[in-house]
Amino acid sequence: MKTIYKKLLLLVLLFPFAALAQSTLEGKVVDKVSKQPIPGVNVVVQGAANSTQTDFDGKFRLTKIKKGDKVLVSYIGYNSVTVPYTGQNDITVSLEESSNQLQEVVIQVGYGTAKKKDATGSVSLITAKDFNKGAIVSTDQLLAGKAAGVRITNNGGSPDSAPNIRIRGGASLNANNSPLIIIDGVPLGDLNPAGVSNPFSLINPNDVESFSILKDASATAIYGVRASNGIIIITTKKGTVGAPQYNYSSSISIGKVDRKLEVMNGTDYTRFIQEYHPDYTNLLGIDDPATAAVDNPATPEIEGRILSNTDWQEAVFRTAISSDHNFSARANLYKKIPFRFSLGMTNNQGVIKTSDYKRFSYSFKMTPKLLNDDLKIDLNAKGTYTDKNDIDEGGALGGALNMDPTKPIYGNQLNNRFNGYYQEVFFNDGATRDFYSLVGSYNPVALLNQRNRPQRTTRFLGNVEFDYKMPFLRDLRAVLNLGLDASQSRIREVYTNNALATYQIDQNNPDPNTNYVFNPGLNYLENQTSTNQTMDAYLAYTKSLTGVITRVDAQAGYSYQNFVTDGNKDLFSYTADGSGSGIRQPFIENARNPTNRYYLPLNLQAYFARANIDLFNKYLFTATFRADGTSLFLKNKRWGYFPAVGAAWKMKEENFLKNSKLIQDLKLRVSYGKTGQSSITDVVGFFPTRPFFEVGNANGQYLPGLNTYTAQPYDPNITWEKTTTLNLGVDFEFFKNSILAGSFDVYNRKTTDLLSKVPSLPGQSTAATEFISNVGSIDGKGFELNLNVKAIQSEDFNVNLGGNLAYNYNKVSELKGVSVVQDTGSGLNQTGVYLAFNPVGQQPYSAWVFEQIYDATGQPIVGAYVDRNDDGRINNDDRYYVAMRPNWTYGFSTAFNYKNWDLTANFRGQVGGQVYNLKTLTNGNTQGAVGYTGNYLINVLDFYNGAANPLFTNFNGNATFSDYLLEDASFLRCDNVTLAYKFKDNLPFLNKAGIKVYGSVNNLFILTEYSGQDPENFNGIDRNFYPRPRTYTFGVSIDF
Amino acid sequence: MKNIKIKGLVLFVSLLTLSGCDDAFNTEPQNQLTLEQLLAEDPNAIQGLLSKIYGSFALSGANGPGSTDTPGDDAGESPFLRGIVNLQDFSADDMKNRWGDNGLDQLTTATDWDNNNKFFRYLYNRVYYTVPQCNNLIAVMQNVSVPNQEQYASELRFLRSLAYYYLIDCFGKGVLVTEADLGSSVPKEQATRTQLFEYVEQELLAIQSTLPVTNGYGRANKACAQMLLAKLYLNAEVYTGTPRYQDAMTQIQLVINEGGYALTTDFQSLFSGDNNVTAAKNEIIYALIADPISSQSYGNTTYLVNGSLSADTMTLSNYGATAGWGGHRSTKAWYGLFGNSATELAASSDVRAQLFWTQGHSYEMNDYKIWTDGYPCVKFRNSNALGTSIATDFSGTDFPLFRLADTYLMYAECVLRGATNGTSGQALQYVNAVRSRANATPISAGDLTLNFILDERGRELNFEGHRRSDLIRFGKFAGGSYVWPWKGGVKQGTAIPEHYNLYPIPLKAMQANPNLTQNPGY
Repeated sequence: MKTIYKKLLLLVLLFPFAALAQSTLEGKVVDKVSKQPIPGVNVVVQGAANSTQTDFDGKFRLTKIKKGDKVLVSYIGYNSVTVPYTGQNDITVSLEESSNQLQEVVIQVGYGTAKKKDATGSVSLITAKDFNKGAIVSTDQLLAGKAAGVRITNNGGSPDSAPNIRIRGGASLNANNSPLIIIDGVPLGDLNPAGVSNPFSLINPNDVESFSILKDASATAIYGVRASNGIIIITTKKGTVGAPQYNYSSSISIGKVDRKLEVMNGTDYTRFIQEYHPDYTNLLGIDDPATAAVDNPATPEIEGRILSNTDWQEAVFRTAISSDHNFSARANLYKKIPFRFSLGMTNNQGVIKTSDYKRFSYSFKMTPKLLNDDLKIDLNAKGTYTDKNDIDEGGALGGALNMDPTKPIYGNQLNNRFNGYYQEVFFNDGATRDFYSLVGSYNPVALLNQRNRPQRTTRFLGNVEFDYKMPFLRDLRAVLNLGLDASQSRIREVYTNNALATYQIDQNNPDPNTNYVFNPGLNYLENQTSTNQTMDAYLAYTKSLTGVITRVDAQAGYSYQNFVTDGNKDLFSYTADGSGSGIRQPFIENARNPTNRYYLPLNLQAYFARANIDLFNKYLFTATFRADGTSLFLKNKRWGYFPAVGAAWKMKEENFLKNSKLIQDLKLRVSYGKTGQSSITDVVGFFPTRPFFEVGNANGQYLPGLNTYTAQPYDPNITWEKTTTLNLGVDFEFFKNSILAGSFDVYNRKTTDLLSKVPSLPGQSTAATEFISNVGSIDGKGFELNLNVKAIQSEDFNVNLGGNLAYNYNKVSELKGVSVVQDTGSGLNQTGVYLAFNPVGQQPYSAWVFEQIYDATGQPIVGAYVDRNDDGRINNDDRYYVAMRPNWTYGFSTAFNYKNWDLTANFRGQVGGQVYNLKTLTNGNTQGAVGYTGNYLINVLDFYNGAANPLFTNFNGNATFSDYLLEDASFLRCDNVTLAYKFKDNLPFLNKAGIKVYGSVNNLFILTEYSGQDPENFNGIDRNFYPRPRTYTFGVSIDF
Repeated sequence: MKNIKIKGLVLFVSLLTLSGCDDAFNTEPQNQLTLEQLLAEDPNAIQGLLSKIYGSFALSGANGPGSTDTPGDDAGESPFLRGIVNLQDFSADDMKNRWGDNGLDQLTTATDWDNNNKFFRYLYNRVYYTVPQCNNLIAVMQNVSVPNQEQYASELRFLRSLAYYYLIDCFGKGVLVTEADLGSSVPKEQATRTQLFEYVEQELLAIQSTLPVTNGYGRANKACAQMLLAKLYLNAEVYTGTPRYQDAMTQIQLVINEGGYALTTDFQSLFSGDNNVTAAKNEIIYALIADPISSQSYGNTTYLVNGSLSADTMTLSNYGATAGWGGHRSTKAWYGLFGNSATELAASSDVRAQLFWTQGHSYEMNDYKIWTDGYPCVKFRNSNALGTSIATDFSGTDFPLFRLADTYLMYAECVLRGATNGTSGQALQYVNAVRSRANATPISAGDLTLNFILDERGRELNFEGHRRSDLIRFGKFAGGSYVWPWKGGVKQGTAIPEHYNLYPIPLKAMQANPNLTQNPGY
């Protein structure tokens, strides 16, 4: 090769006279695949001094060129191309990406994009090839387990289950710990539309092109006060510049619950009651009308009762059948306007009956260039309509566990009072009237079928970005981004005829056979609109240079965001005089606010600036500064200032590595900076710093004829929480073709002025017990490792392995004079009893428990705990802290590709962490079988197969806080396995079309020692958990 | 051309900087009001603010039974009145609860009290919710012009004194904050029981001249302040070590002679749904209002009524209730005062002996956790004394915190304890007035002893939030000189430590203010 160059050189030298005919060549360099222009490409006339670089639009102009010159077009990460000059006026050069991965990956960095190779911050990019596959309903599911240090734990298996996302474990205590989510340049608010629990469900996963996850301060500081818990930037798919392309994909899924709690069946339960509660055998089953026999608890037989064997869990679960259809079109309108359009329709069934979810979505993206390409416009419009039937999850799941298995689901009972459903009742023998009251759990099947609560939300998310290149200074651009995120929601709760929940006794009627009424119809109506307006305006200067400074890239601008959520609720109550005539009527809570309106405004404004400077194309420096203001805080506390610096050393560019075959790429990064947090509206509302009075509602009045007014707690002094992060990272690619690539980051983080709920100084504040305040600090540290291995690479067979591992340790280091605050998110089955605390010197959200003592055979000794301080008595001083959240999380994936076959599998898990098995507490003791009033029975965990321990007759008092109830939450879950086959050219009837068919299984298995429903539990307290189903999906995707 | 472009750039840059409009930061709520808006909108605004603080003794929050003024505390469990009953009656000899909620067992059996018990915290938090609310409103009123300002301020000072009274009685110490301390973030020093006593004494003396003789129902008048002061003096020996029975008698006589109250003939009407309209209201000096619609709370008399009922053994609607929580039963330490067995109790002519539901229940409380062990007390009910009544989810029965029968018995006690400004003849007359009203046989002068007074107070006033204070004053609460069922966690009752005369300062308060110290023994 080299010799050819030399010959060419010689050739050029031999014909110097050709230089007489000098001319100019204009051209453009684009990516061969994406057809996108590539800026900064070196364009050199071989052997001559004249050279140039392409501008931002990939254009170049080469003067003093002669026919016969060879033009070398080269760019890092792409294979170089040599073009002979034959007198063309202009040329377009397509560069093909070299196999080297890291180099040209484009990441979103906020207010612009960057090449990953030029980034100084810790940014993970997750693109389509990495996404989870199979039954994906919401966008967050694409990402679960895919990025190191990003823990996504949904609340269970319901179709709209809220994802709890923690990047690096979260830097805050009571302020929101969720990352900031930005979709195509529009940052979302902290509030979800009414009836939507998962903000990610509002964008169609099929429209997503990539996630950029910003983790360290160098990357996040540009978002200032919303940045402390990391940022997820979602970019949707773009149009094409080539020929129109269409895609249709469709899938059908079948979901089933594969793991149920082991409660007793009818036979075992009968035996259990006979053994442990013989006095109550007369409550088993239902009365047999055919016989007058009455069960005599003194005999082991059950006389005069019909015993059923109902699996109540099975009765509320179903085989869920879901379908998903998507159509998208990409084209280049008038050869000028790349656009993409998509339509999606998802019909998702949850595995609990009537838990239905539908979504229609569209998206539209247009990226035209006007004014000689000086003005680039990026227009996005996305819309969704979702319709979810919100079931009474707790009621149905709790009922399914608690219902006595000897009771039937259906039974024509009491003149068919409950429309065919069996329900336990108790006959009240009264002096003035007799009546039947409902006792025990409500029949869960009836609960599901008798209430309809559609939550319908229409959401529009759109933005238009103008990017204008200043004609007088070509490297300077002005960017204006206008965004709108608007939604409209409506929740409408309606009961059917004879619904258990509306059963009322008519107190004017003494006859127990007729003195009941039901109230079908509307019970609750909520309407809400939410509007989030965004405006960003900034100037950007980008220039590639030669010499010491090889690149300057700077932005400075202003950002404005305004969020308004405005809604009202129509409430209904039974006849207010309590006469029980059963008439439901509109209920006005507050005469001053008859529509129950709520109005939640938030305004954020910021100034920001960022500069990237590269020296010798090897040493990269980034400085970021943002000033943020929010309406939540008073003027003198309003503004927060968030600086960050970062540097990177592209070691591969150094001479000593340049020719290394082993090290394909190596970059070291270091960053340090400050970010903020102010999301406390969940805890203290939208007006936490000013004194306001609230009108008491219709049930909260006192002296007759007067409205009560309550002084709202406030604190004028609260302000931002600040997080300082030091991050060291390395990005690497080793061996030929970058067989081993990855990154490693280690960080140290400190949050100060921590916004935490702390107990008020008794008597010294109108905030009675607690309020949020800037107290104390949290220290965090950890590391993240990402690895990708191209294990086998050949023409027909490829194996890729990818994995990530993260360790995070947070510690509450100070709470300003307070040693511990309880975490009110950790309530147990009893009111006012909390499991977890945030103690100084310990990890946040640690359970405060007694150490159970076990006998020689490993059985717990009931009521015996370790006297940890050896003072001879067991009290609170003997309790110790156990961190509930895991410190280690990991995920890995394997991809096999053989000819037209693809097999991928994704796994994720955690090591450590605890789950409090609340079901053992409530259903795992022998006393728990007899109901509160003693006239109904409750099913329990199976004492005969070890699902619960019969040694425990109850879990009263300190037993609630025994560490016996804490279980290791380590798990490995096989998230999905997908086998796909691509029909390529072997289908003659579909010219050029590509067809892919696939089958996948989601949640194939989980390995864990946890005995309850599911160890993957965000709050670590296992109560009425909506099971994550195992789902089988078959799908097809057609490109044409 | 270039000029235009430069102008365009200038315009763009100025757009960036100028549009950062400060106005947008000033978000305004739609449902909350500033003080100015409130005063402009409602001519009765100050009384509305006052009403809220009055309500803080009975309600959990401003938005119905599920709302709470004291975040972190359960809305249902934490209202002031529920705390008073829990800490004065369940911990004493008269009432027990079977729910086994964490903390309630310890209270009901008077064992293993510690500063982590949420029920101590609830009352403590209520005191320190009400006190700064009073301080805040007193301060607010100083900045606006309102008619009757002095009277309103006096009412607030009464409410503040009432809250402090329970701090003195139950916890024995705490910070003393007034309207002068608002907004101070420096932890206050702890005031002693005597300092708190002296402050409340001065306050109650000072407002007697500015409180009206009569006031709206449920509001404080002169007699309320006198009655509270009388109770403070009656217990002064416990609180400060110095007996003040003479001073107590002065206040008691003011209540009796100038208050205009009279015993109602129908004892049960005092605790029935219509006690705000029947003659019962003439006996009630200070009531905590309840209403089934407009003043709903799980911590007002709803707690007493529903908590004492269960459909298992009783008919709820007979007591005007729609729900029975099956929790509270009285013990023979109470109903034993009327008869030593079920038969004797049934034979008693005393109408106060008929307050117990015996059918299906045993006289003995062998296991306090079993509903049918011990008699539920139906003294408090939501049915009306006159006419028909309908069952409601929440009780409408007002709670008589102070009533004349109590004043009469206090008179007799003060005489027996040596107050020379009263007479024993009058004392006997008052005691017999109370007994006769209940159809109990009058006693003779020779029967009138301190021990008789304690028993009579039990018969007359149990479940009304006085019992623990009474037992302590008579030296019968802590220690083993007197035991009752389940005292100390055993059925027959056993001695409990002397330091149980005071409750522990809640852990959360001590964590918040490092100047607070724990009571001895905890």
